[in-house]
Amino acid sequence: MRRLFHHLAGAGTRLWSTAFGVAALAALAEAQGGKRWGPTEAASDYGYRFYDLFWLITILCSVSFAIVCILILIPALRDRARPGHKAKFDHGASLKDKRVTTVVSASVFLVLDAWVLVIAMTDLREAWWNIPDEEEPGVYQVEVLAQQWAWSFRHQGADGEFGTADDIIQINELTVPTDTSVSFQMTSKDVIHSLFLPEMRTKRDANPGAINEMWFKAIRSGEFTILCAELCGFAHYQMHGKLHVLEGDQFESWHEDASRLGIAAFDTEDEEAQWAWKWE
Amino acid sequence: MRIPTIQLVCLAGIAFGALASFRAAGQEHGEDGQSEADAHATEAVVIEEGPHMRPPIGVDMTITAGDWLRAPSAEWFAEQADADPDRYSFDASLGDGEGGWVDSQDVFRYRYDEEEEIGAYWQWVTASQLTRGRRNYLQYCSSCHGIEGDGYGRSGQWLRPSPRNFKSGYFKFTKVTAPLPSDAALHSLIKRGLDGTPMLPWALGDRQLDDVIQYLKYLSPEGEAWRDWFTEIGEPVDPGKDPWIGEEKFAVERGKRLYHGDANCASCHPGYVKVEDLPELLGKKDPTSRDDYYLPVLKESNYTVLDQPVKILPPDFTFHTVRSGSTPRDLFQTIAAGIKGTAMPQWKGALEDKDIWALAYYVEDLIKKYKDDNAARTEFFTELKPQK
Repeated sequence: MRRLFHHLAGAGTRLWSTAFGVAALAALAEAQGGKRWGPTEAASDYGYRFYDLFWLITILCSVSFAIVCILILIPALRDRARPGHKAKFDHGASLKDKRVTTVVSASVFLVLDAWVLVIAMTDLREAWWNIPDEEEPGVYQVEVLAQQWAWSFRHQGADGEFGTADDIIQINELTVPTDTSVSFQMTSKDVIHSLFLPEMRTKRDANPGAINEMWFKAIRSGEFTILCAELCGFAHYQMHGKLHVLEGDQFESWHEDASRLGIAAFDTEDEEAQWAWKWE
Repeated sequence: MRIPTIQLVCLAGIAFGALASFRAAGQEHGEDGQSEADAHATEAVVIEEGPHMRPPIGVDMTITAGDWLRAPSAEWFAEQADADPDRYSFDASLGDGEGGWVDSQDVFRYRYDEEEEIGAYWQWVTASQLTRGRRNYLQYCSSCHGIEGDGYGRSGQWLRPSPRNFKSGYFKFTKVTAPLPSDAALHSLIKRGLDGTPMLPWALGDRQLDDVIQYLKYLSPEGEAWRDWFTEIGEPVDPGKDPWIGEEKFAVERGKRLYHGDANCASCHPGYVKVEDLPELLGKKDPTSRDDYYLPVLKESNYTVLDQPVKILPPDFTFHTVRSGSTPRDLFQTIAAGIKGTAMPQWKGALEDKDIWALAYYVEDLIKKYKDDNAARTEFFTELKPQK
């Protein structure tokens, strides 16, 4: 009797501490001021794919986990040692049992993985690798030059060419239009960096000596985050910026002004500052 | 009982490591005190092992000799003497009868130049400190500012504004009217960073930062900047009490007049009023002779990259990020001190403090209203510009 009492008290303590933990987490969530814990809302046209895949994987994993838990709990309770009952243990009596177990678990695993893989590959093909052709009209192009520990962005001016006087250069800030495919070519001066635009659900490494491509199409205006997602030195954590997405005519006026100021800042003699490359 | 050999070996290792790190910490502390005084004589380079990066191949990490560098002015010593009278004493016989402060620890020395009849304080920086500074510099600064401090590091190439070349001895945003900033001014500059540039706010410890600053000073060329007898070192401009509290609106109005009128900021920076309103606003005729009154004018500067002079565009406050802070207080300091080596002069002395404050308020007003609001900015300029 005493032993049972202790046992229950122990279980009670565990129950209480679990409840307390959950309450503490809830309080913490509240203290965050309603901030989302999950990923921020997607702002690019292919961003929904991220959610779809994220939830698919989360649900598949949670359901499988729950089933496995139940399958463990049932025999653990049924066959445990108790007054008048001796603990029983077996791992399949016959070779057939083992074969069935192997085939069932392997097919569950393969089906789930294939399911996720097919969707992931479709996303890759239809979104990630679907980089707009540079000759396609209406694609906004940006050249990205990464360095320890900052981003430089170069836009074309009205002449539609990189490396000319009316180029716009931004440091740690990037302004792009909504509802337009924005195509990036990026490289790095020193080490590997990675341009990460979490709200646009896209990320790509910038490697020294190579030009990598990336694209997105913003579906709403606002101010978003630019991060470096590749450990690039000790100030990596400080390598962030702001992505401004402006509505069409707002962007037009911004672009015109920025380009005029770009011309004002242009110094023909300072050739060193005129980094740019041709898109191919 | 079996003896747990592996555990014992591990314990011994931990104990040894702890002892070694205690010893290193002891050396670190000892150096600031008495041992620094006779450091000129010994010149032993003592480097505690810290989280320094591996030296780049072929780069010498150790500086073997200490050096005398220009130290703050007599006022600074008077202050120090108040705080620590045991260490500093005034010797009236020094400097041809003018007198000078004597440091009993011999870190600071008063030197008198008989020909020029001018005295200056110098500071002994030990080889150990310079070496520590160099190691930290290589880790934190060299990627942009270059391994030898020439402002042309691998990450700094092609970058405008270009990283500072420490061999030139100029610093732009020091907030100091004197040619050279004091250690405190450099401290706050490095800790704060420069907005809108890759010069980040560096989270270095005070001691680390101090080592780096001594090293930066040590990089100045022979006979210039901190190695020059006569270069003056100054503290950041004291903004004093804000004279416009409660009257900010009037400050903005006053600033607007000064900006387009007497101070003539609009001769390099863009104008922010209608050209036809200028006579009414200023009571004089249109003072502009510019192609586009609403664009800044590219200016020559003393800065070079690979010996190529670099021009600098004065900021359009409604568009560009101001480098050293956009509160009225920061702007006051920047305007008052000017920006060294550029077309931006020192306004302290040329204008009254109250007027500099007014300019600061006006610039802050422009930044607040238009900098991050493209729609407001477009509307503002559309109204200003003559309709075509």
